Amino acid sequence: MKIIASYANKGGVGKTAAAVNLSYALAAAGERVLLCDLDPQGAASFYFRIKPSKKLTEASFFQDVEKFTQSIKASDYDNLDILPANMTFRDFDVFLAQMKQPKSRLKQALKAVAGDFDAIILDCPPNISTLSENIFKAADAVLVPIIPTTLSQRTFQQLVDFFAENDLPARKLHGFFSMVQSTKSLHDETMAVMRGTYPKTLLTAKIPFATDVERMGIHRAPVLVSAPHSAAGKAYQALSEELTLRLDPTRHGEGPS
Amino acid sequence: MTHASPDDFILHGPAATAFTSQRLGKLTPVFVPEGEPAPFTRLDTFDQTLRRSGRLLLDLGTALDLIRPDSSAMTQATHGRTKFVPDIAEGPVKQALSDLSPLRSLLPCGTGKLSRAGLAFEDDDHKVHCRAALQILTGAEGQTVILVMLHPLRGYARAQADLRHALATNGMAFDMDALHGLLFPASPAPAPKPKLALTADQTAHDAATAIIALQIPVARLSEPGIVADHDTEFLHDYRVALRRIRSVLSLFRGVYPPDQTATLKARFSALMAQTGMLRDLDVHLLEKPSYYDLLPEIQHPGLDTMFALRAADRAKALARLSRHLRSKAHGQEMTELARLFATPQALPPGPKADTPAYPYACALIWKRYRKIRQIAANLGPATPDTDVHTLRIHCKKLRYLMEFFAGLFPPASVKSLLKPLKALQDHLGLVNDLSVQQVSLQSFLQGSGAWPDSTKLQVAQTVGALTTVLHQRKLDERRKTMDALSGFISPETQKTFREVFHPSKPGPPRKPNP
Repeated sequence: MKIIASYANKGGVGKTAAAVNLSYALAAAGERVLLCDLDPQGAASFYFRIKPSKKLTEASFFQDVEKFTQSIKASDYDNLDILPANMTFRDFDVFLAQMKQPKSRLKQALKAVAGDFDAIILDCPPNISTLSENIFKAADAVLVPIIPTTLSQRTFQQLVDFFAENDLPARKLHGFFSMVQSTKSLHDETMAVMRGTYPKTLLTAKIPFATDVERMGIHRAPVLVSAPHSAAGKAYQALSEELTLRLDPTRHGEGPS
Repeated sequence: MTHASPDDFILHGPAATAFTSQRLGKLTPVFVPEGEPAPFTRLDTFDQTLRRSGRLLLDLGTALDLIRPDSSAMTQATHGRTKFVPDIAEGPVKQALSDLSPLRSLLPCGTGKLSRAGLAFEDDDHKVHCRAALQILTGAEGQTVILVMLHPLRGYARAQADLRHALATNGMAFDMDALHGLLFPASPAPAPKPKLALTADQTAHDAATAIIALQIPVARLSEPGIVADHDTEFLHDYRVALRRIRSVLSLFRGVYPPDQTATLKARFSALMAQTGMLRDLDVHLLEKPSYYDLLPEIQHPGLDTMFALRAADRAKALARLSRHLRSKAHGQEMTELARLFATPQALPPGPKADTPAYPYACALIWKRYRKIRQIAANLGPATPDTDVHTLRIHCKKLRYLMEFFAGLFPPASVKSLLKPLKALQDHLGLVNDLSVQQVSLQSFLQGSGAWPDSTKLQVAQTVGALTTVLHQRKLDERRKTMDALSGFISPETQKTFREVFHPSKPGPPRKPNP
């Protein structure tokens, strides 16, 4: 079982769209997937038409295995389950501060369902907090969407630095360019510079700025369902395949199912 | 039998079609048909092996669908009409039918239409809370039966429970018998196989009469299948029933007056005599694939010619037997015989008629086993085939006796003694078949007068090669027979035979199985 976090310390960069489409792509490829919506706004849950969890409030996420497992809901797609968020998730840091070993509580909580899934995808809130540290510790891979602008470049460097300062393995970081607008020369230039700076960390796949992604809120379905053959759909599929191969190089040569 | 999942249901009648458009509390139904309805033919063997074992096999023309007792379904692509299990291509359905006799044909037993659909129940956000897979079966008279298989969705236990309750209220839990009854009302459930219930104090006369009375309908039921030429098992079953009757008449000496016995024997022998030619040809033609395996490819054209001639002979033999079975005289004879054995009082008693069944059975079985031991003692590699044949006949008689009277003895002991006997019979049967095949091939060759010279030469070469191979196989089988025989006459087996069938102080026999 692998844990992949879709994380950015900056909001509105395509983090939830990546988590939703990656989850769908892995499930469609036959993996049993749990998408864990850790963002109190619950956007990932919304895309899958799942209402906020009523049971899993306050500290029970980390303390009550039964409530945790009972809150998981099947999505409308085979192999894909969702742990929906609710507004109490915004107080995770408060609860974690009161617990022993606050930085490994998420990993312990996820252990309870590890046997049920091949992959757990975490859609994370956009900040650096105790919860984020939990996420970095629990995840096998941290997938970071980056809008190719100067500001995002700086934010990504802050994350790389945070990893170094906290002895977190840099190999867990997998950045990819998101909301790319090919008409903007700044995007091309920034991507070129960053690929030079982080040659191993950045994935080749890049997600274009596309209305199909924005319309996920209307369709309430992954782009891979509503517009699988669109540029964005193909890009998410490529992102999923590239990441899968990175995390398990033995799968080289397996075509998408 | 495997039990169906508690999440599988049957809907039928008006409730079936209405259900797919009914709300489930606050949830809205979404019915999604999958493809057009396809016509199907239900297939089963003559004795309804599939129905008896809770299976439903549907031939959809391009696919075979099998629904099992636990309601799980499987499908496999096919080409053309499926008649025998070995003819089906390798696949899950063939695998699931592997317990069926390869010689029994799958007969059409009903028709209808099948379609599939999905049924989901959604909330106001169009999120699915529960779903089910539907198989919609429509019988020949337009009656609709829907098999509903719930697909559990994690986190929606309440909706699942509501749906389960609604299905139980509007329909019923999955039950294969009910499904058959609803879908094929014209095809009644198979009657349980008739069982012989002998009692220890029953007279030998009544026991013999009861055994024969049970076999006559078996023979009679096989006749239409022989005429229709569905498969070779109909004739085989017909002959087994007649052979059992003849065995009773010859083994149960003294239960009827001698002249009555002689008359009955002659009447049943006359029935049997009609069938010999067709059965020999059936056996020969059933061996066809193995003959091709036995001979090199260069001899295959000769086999083609030989089997074409034999197939023509078989067609003639079948026509002859069919004429006989359909004749008024045969119908009258079978009706009279059935009537004769229907009431034990109708048959006059012989000198041993009143002997109680238990000591009578003990004496017959023990005598037959001792006879086999005597023959076995003198058997060796040089023993002529005729002596091996005699041993085979005695074994067959012993088997019949043990089976006829099985209900009077401890089942475990009878079973433990029948097992080595059956193994020995298998070897003896094979030795006999290999001998008969050689003789049959030679006589076939002798009848070659009307064939063109080129055919004569080709077939003669093929028969020569086959005879050599069959002879070698027969020698191998004789060796295996000797091994099986030594087990059957071993001191341990003899001890058990003595304990069961020749006790020093005959105790009260156990009551027969209900």
